[in-house]
Amino acid sequence: MTATAHKVKITYCAECGYEPQTLDLARALMLEFGARLSCIELIPWEGGTFDVSVDGQLIHSMARDGGFPQAGAIKDAVRARLSA
Amino acid sequence: MTIDRARFDQGLTYEAYKAQMSRNLDRLEENERRVDLSKEDIAAFRALPRPVKVLVLAEDWCGDVIANLPVLGRLAKDSGKLDVRIFLRDQNDDLMQRYLNKGQFKSIPVFVFLDEDFHELGHWIERPASVTEVRAKRRKEIFAAHPEFGSPDAPVDQLSESVRVQLQTELAKMRDETTKFANGEVVRELREIATRVAA
Repeated sequence: MTATAHKVKITYCAECGYEPQTLDLARALMLEFGARLSCIELIPWEGGTFDVSVDGQLIHSMARDGGFPQAGAIKDAVRARLSA
Repeated sequence: MTIDRARFDQGLTYEAYKAQMSRNLDRLEENERRVDLSKEDIAAFRALPRPVKVLVLAEDWCGDVIANLPVLGRLAKDSGKLDVRIFLRDQNDDLMQRYLNKGQFKSIPVFVFLDEDFHELGHWIERPASVTEVRAKRRKEIFAAHPEFGSPDAPVDQLSESVRVQLQTELAKMRDETTKFANGEVVRELREIATRVAA
């Protein structure tokens, strides 16, 4: 059996003061999934971005979906990937 | 909620605001040095019949504040006709709610121009629409010239780190090249509002 690496990327606008939301979400994922995630990557960006992707699939986009994601919705998406 | 002298005086002066900044002071001061005011613009502000009060909402992490507050700061310093008081957005939500961008976004900076009786002359939010438009056009051109950046609408995390850094460099260069235009537009719009003060 081959282990699959699961990766979450959070791209946040570093010019919009989104660090607290970014860190809150990263913390929630760390505490929930521990070493079952191979990586949580935080990408400082610009232009009002707050995007979350799991294994390359965009789960939440502030531009597309509006606002910040609920941590629960992101956890559900990660769980789905872990059990796939 | 009204803005009166007591509330206005609770705001920070431009220098006091700078003194409490926990980040980006170097960028703000660099932008302050780069503001190139024309003699005509300074003369227009100096010719105001009475000093104009400017209530500002700002935070030191915001790129538009770092870019545009120094323009107001220089206009105030060089003309001697603007009394600027700055309020931190996240500690003054009652003020912020009054000046939401498009009625829903807490965009900053906000500059509210007030006469001596605290009647509003007009307000200004975030950045000029012309600047947003020019930069959006230039951004599209950057993506067109660099196929490796992919689609301008695609999530940036799909790019490799090296390409992402290259894109970031190109965007920073574009912002730098459009700064003179942007500052000019800010001055033009602020001048238009400030000169509404009655003779």
